[in-house]
Amino acid sequence: MLKSRLREYLEPRVSIIVGTVSPEKMPASCRAIAIRANDEVTSFTVYVPVATSQETIANVAATRRIAVACSRPATHSTIQFKGTVREVRLAPEADHEFVSGRLQAFADELGDFGYPRKSIASLAHWPAFAIDVDVEALFEQTPGPNAGASLR
Amino acid sequence: MISSPTRLTSLSRCFLGVIPSIVSTSDAEGIPNVTYVSQVFYVDEQHVALSCQFFNKTRKNLDGNPLACAHVIDPVSFQAWRLRLRFLRSETTGQLFESMKVRIEAIASQTGMAGVFRLLSADVFEVLSVERVEGFLAAPPPEDAVEPVSAAGRRTELRGLQCVSEQINKADDLETLLSSVLEALDGYFGFAHTMVLVTEPPCDQLVAVASRGYGESGVGAEVVIGEGLIGTAAKQRRILRIAGLDSNLRYGRAVRREVLSRESHPVAPEIPLPGLPDAQSTLIIPLTVGVDLIGVLVAESRALAGFDEWHEGYLEVAANQIALGIDRMSTPDGGDDEGAVAPRPLAVAKPGPARPKHSLTYYAADDCVFVDNEYLIRNVPGRIFWKLLTTWSREGRNEFSNRELRLDESLGLPEFKDNLESRLILLRKRLEEKCSAIRIERTGRGRFALVVDAELELVEK
Repeated sequence: MLKSRLREYLEPRVSIIVGTVSPEKMPASCRAIAIRANDEVTSFTVYVPVATSQETIANVAATRRIAVACSRPATHSTIQFKGTVREVRLAPEADHEFVSGRLQAFADELGDFGYPRKSIASLAHWPAFAIDVDVEALFEQTPGPNAGASLR
Repeated sequence: MISSPTRLTSLSRCFLGVIPSIVSTSDAEGIPNVTYVSQVFYVDEQHVALSCQFFNKTRKNLDGNPLACAHVIDPVSFQAWRLRLRFLRSETTGQLFESMKVRIEAIASQTGMAGVFRLLSADVFEVLSVERVEGFLAAPPPEDAVEPVSAAGRRTELRGLQCVSEQINKADDLETLLSSVLEALDGYFGFAHTMVLVTEPPCDQLVAVASRGYGESGVGAEVVIGEGLIGTAAKQRRILRIAGLDSNLRYGRAVRREVLSRESHPVAPEIPLPGLPDAQSTLIIPLTVGVDLIGVLVAESRALAGFDEWHEGYLEVAANQIALGIDRMSTPDGGDDEGAVAPRPLAVAKPGPARPKHSLTYYAADDCVFVDNEYLIRNVPGRIFWKLLTTWSREGRNEFSNRELRLDESLGLPEFKDNLESRLILLRKRLEEKCSAIRIERTGRGRFALVVDAELELVEK
């Protein structure tokens, strides 16, 4: 059941944000464009734009710690993965279409709620870094009294 | 202290809760956490606040590590900004707490979450730095980013903001700017009854220059700053939102409307301010640029609670745009560009046997002009009108430029922010309503013509 719920957050049209922290304990965040996971959702790859993720990449290189929140804009339903970064790669050209498609889907999702689709579709997204993450913890983050509850 | 030259006040649109912000923290061991917050609240130039509605991970982390990072997004330009923060304290009483509580409860009510969202504390942060997130947009949003949308759609207000911004950027004269903005507010926000008043130097009164959704335009109506609802909001530079207007006020308006409908020629130098006789709620937003009051935007509704905090947030953003647009048009080089655009062909009045006759009287003591014993206009617009008429009568010239008016010391226009455009709008609209045989027609950027389709008698007293 949890697995099927997790799958919902790996589908197109989700909003993805990434949190990291420097060795000096200064937090940083950036928006990610796409995410995909293995079948068991024990590891995933999150794609962040090269243009806006320099600090994120520097932080994970130093600490390997990462938090990734995936949200469904229609319901604000949100989960947060916490994990360890296994590898950071420059995303290969073969992933370009996947990442672009996810951005367009996100723009379509927000467009349905009145946000300007074309402005969102103009967010920087490529080239991107692919960050491979091993999941260590999973939390409920839907706004409400259960936010912060451990899911796995 | 803020290490960046970017001032928080310049990011005011980011703090209105139109687009959710991202906040990241970490615990004492360096495990990061990232979350959305509906709104980052501006406190002052060095401080912002976050709402604590549930004792969540973010709040717990701050006890172990007070540092945080917030990403805020401008809802008009879609530019993102990064704020480095240090948690200072939680407030559970006081003005900041109360104002955040009101807004959160309004949003909760709007989204059907009343009772679920409840403010536990206002968490105050020192802003350590403000940085623009370079490269956030791969390219500027396309010019046609504002997509047509039904006003019934959800969150159309955001598109409305973009539309207002677009209209302001596109307008090359104040009249176009104001009419298109009021149209957009109607179309996207559903505000069908609106008006804009601008300050009249020396800034002790406001004059209506545009309205929409009222039977009478009310252009030229004056409001003393500090008096009445509009004057009070203007003086205090504070948004005034009233649901359930006082019944006496509505009664007074109804009486006034009745009197006006029976008086065929009210000879009085007061033009009534437009207003719905059965208005139930009103929203009055001062238009300011920095500390300067530019004017006031007024919206009225027949609904008992026609405006709420949700609307207020969006309209505040729109008002900022409108104020900047008016300010741009009110400076001497704002709408003055003689020769840059070829003058449009002038509609020539055709003399005929049935030309009407009008007597125009100018009272020099108060620069007041009457047409056929009916009040037309006064003050600086009155002076301008008389100058145009006497030049036309004496020299036979009917083409004029903004520049020559600005250089004419007898008109007494201030050197800076002379509001010439708004004064000409006033004159043009008053003529449309009271003496259509005389018209002010725009012939190019910063140029216009006085079109006289009548025999005039000019009397100066």
